[in-house]
Amino acid sequence: MRTRKAVLAGWLAVLAVSSFGVALPVVAQDSLQARVAAYRERVARLEDQDAVENLQATFGFYFDKGLWNEAADLFARNGSFEYGQSGVYVGQDHIRRALLLFGPQGLAQGYLNNHMMLQPVITVASDGKTATGRWQGPMQLSEPGANGVWGVGIYENEYVKDGGVWKFAKFHFYPTAFTDYDKGWARSLLPMKGQSALFPPDKPPTVVYRSMPGQYIPPFSYKHPVTGKPLTDLPQAVDSVTGRK
Amino acid sequence: MTRIFIAIALCAAVAAPAFAQSAGASGARPAAAERLDALDKRITRLEDLNQIERLQRTYGYFVDKSQWVQLSELFSDDATLEIGGKGLFTGKPRVLEYMQTAFGPDGAKEGSLANHMQFQSIPDISADGKRGWIRSRAYVMSLGGWGLPLYENEYRKENGVWKISRLTGPFTMYTSWDGWAKNALNNTWPDKFDPPPDLPPSTVYLTYPAYYIIPFHYPNPVTGKPFIPDKGEVGAYQAPPGTKAQADSLKVGRLADGTQAIGEPPRD
Repeated sequence: MRTRKAVLAGWLAVLAVSSFGVALPVVAQDSLQARVAAYRERVARLEDQDAVENLQATFGFYFDKGLWNEAADLFARNGSFEYGQSGVYVGQDHIRRALLLFGPQGLAQGYLNNHMMLQPVITVASDGKTATGRWQGPMQLSEPGANGVWGVGIYENEYVKDGGVWKFAKFHFYPTAFTDYDKGWARSLLPMKGQSALFPPDKPPTVVYRSMPGQYIPPFSYKHPVTGKPLTDLPQAVDSVTGRK
Repeated sequence: MTRIFIAIALCAAVAAPAFAQSAGASGARPAAAERLDALDKRITRLEDLNQIERLQRTYGYFVDKSQWVQLSELFSDDATLEIGGKGLFTGKPRVLEYMQTAFGPDGAKEGSLANHMQFQSIPDISADGKRGWIRSRAYVMSLGGWGLPLYENEYRKENGVWKISRLTGPFTMYTSWDGWAKNALNNTWPDKFDPPPDLPPSTVYLTYPAYYIIPFHYPNPVTGKPFIPDKGEVGAYQAPPGTKAQADSLKVGRLADGTQAIGEPPRD
């Protein structure tokens, strides 16, 4: 995935530098240079998409193993972290501390915090300064003294290019279901955690929803790939608890 | 990263002399323009690879939440769809009818889970840039248990927009929450549930603990050799192609009608 686009960057550099240093008619040279400029932009967007994919995948590897400092470093200065109904933590320092709610630094015996990052749909803004990404997030979780847990959810994140480096602007994970490892979805549903009393969030959750048996479709950050219509207001299931009709 | 430097070095070595040769005459501009045309094609191919992956992943997100109308709009008007052993559905309206009849009306229902997580895609684009293919897989985690479909799909670019023109999703393994050591579900068959298909299955095969290898749309990336499937009359695989065990297995499990015996899982 990551090397597909890199080769082209070299080509563009060579074309830009070497091809047009000769005496061409001014108009022709302009249009050739305009083409090179346009191609350079398109390759840059491809590279941006790769970088954003790698950022999210890297967060996943850090998050899995309780590498909270490394994970928090991936956020922009005013970046935010929101996980389910736990509320929003703003800024690297708060995020670093909030991650301790998932276990000690480096985790410990009996912990499992696997958050797999699959199925990315990345949309890079045409100016290459921001991006969004939807990801599929199955989970394998465990805490000492408790049985294992399966989970599923959707990430809808925003990214920002800060000083040439892609970072998380808004991390938003919507877990949608948790179950006991042995019992499975038909026989066990575990609730989503609420806001921490030990280290309360900076802001309440931006979206109030229930995990399974409740049903919620996180709005899509991108438009339908064929019709081009927005996918932000798909009909949601009625929820008598949250009052959603 | 090393690939970038290799590419730069190669281009510098090759491109400069080649250009110098033609630069003296009036051939300078066409030479540069042609190289830019070639570059445009390569960039477009990369964008197209991303675009068909995006289609396939979006298909998965729509399946998860029963968004059948949205899903059907990912398909071309004359698309075909074949999932498991159910047979072929032809045309976009039939794709929608299949989904809505077999899996219920649009919209995610309270208490339901049908995640079809999409990953491991191998996308390819034809040389003329008009068709594409993906081999990929889904890991199903649902209320009913676990499932492993594969995909060998075809995509088509129509007026600059990529669409799914053929979805082929054979099953590898489906099991209840008891797990695949204790339980294996048969492949589906044409009249297992409504609606009936337009055409019978393109291939009749068994699911785990037997196995069926869907032919690869691309050759081995190292040797360049295409995958040659066994030409047996059944198309069910229980051992690697070319082995005696596989030759014998061609004589069992003829019909994927739900009545065939399901063997014990293989043991070491």
